[in-house]
Amino acid sequence: MNSPVVLKIELPNVPDIELVAVEGLGRLARHLGIPEEKIGEARILVTEAIINAFEHAGGGSASPVVVEFTMTPSDLVIFVRDFGKGFDPSSVENPQLAEKLKGGGKRGWGLKLMESMSDDFRIDSAPDGTRITIRKMLR
Amino acid sequence: MDQEFSLTSQLRDRRLVITTSGYVNNTGGQAIATEFDRHFAQGVREVIINLAGSKVVNSVGMSFLLEILEKLQDAGGAMVFTNLDPAVDKMLTIMGIFSIAGKAATVDDAIKKLS
Repeated sequence: MNSPVVLKIELPNVPDIELVAVEGLGRLARHLGIPEEKIGEARILVTEAIINAFEHAGGGSASPVVVEFTMTPSDLVIFVRDFGKGFDPSSVENPQLAEKLKGGGKRGWGLKLMESMSDDFRIDSAPDGTRITIRKMLR
Repeated sequence: MDQEFSLTSQLRDRRLVITTSGYVNNTGGQAIATEFDRHFAQGVREVIINLAGSKVVNSVGMSFLLEILEKLQDAGGAMVFTNLDPAVDKMLTIMGIFSIAGKAATVDDAIKKLS
């Protein structure tokens, strides 16, 4: 029961497709006997990573996002890859609530949430796309 | 799990209670904001967001709640969240939302908090 289970899926850019990945995550967890409450934060991490990927994928259903989960009873690795033109993660401002409430855009929380809710977070972006790798302990 | 978004709302002593079910994405967030705006225009200034049926939310959906909070702050109003999934609670904590909004276990508790 300690050997990892792997789920790899390619998601087309259609509304709410991230829920397919969330459903897959839940099924893997049930297979490994991981309680529902242990994967709550993982659901948010998966959702944010996929939304972020589609934002950078270039748009259109011809720009898929690849998602891979590697799960054991004790931890989960989430890998999300898009095939967009990449971006500079260091140029993304750390969102501050006070600034967001002063008017203007309210979005831009994804990277902060992924970094804060994960046990390890890595983002590699290049002209051929962006790869996000997230590790989340499940115990 | 069924994640189709829906909401219901009711007024309890001039306090708006919005109860959601399903995935709070951009569409769900917009629906919450639209429902709020309808009551805000009629003078409602206290809002309870009951997320009991929403275990999956995203930051885009939550960004609409910041628009509501901005309007309430400007008008001297208040917002309280109830029935939060622990992961959603943590998400809102990271965003700093509880520095300007309340949190309660149930809708009844939220009403007491606002009284």
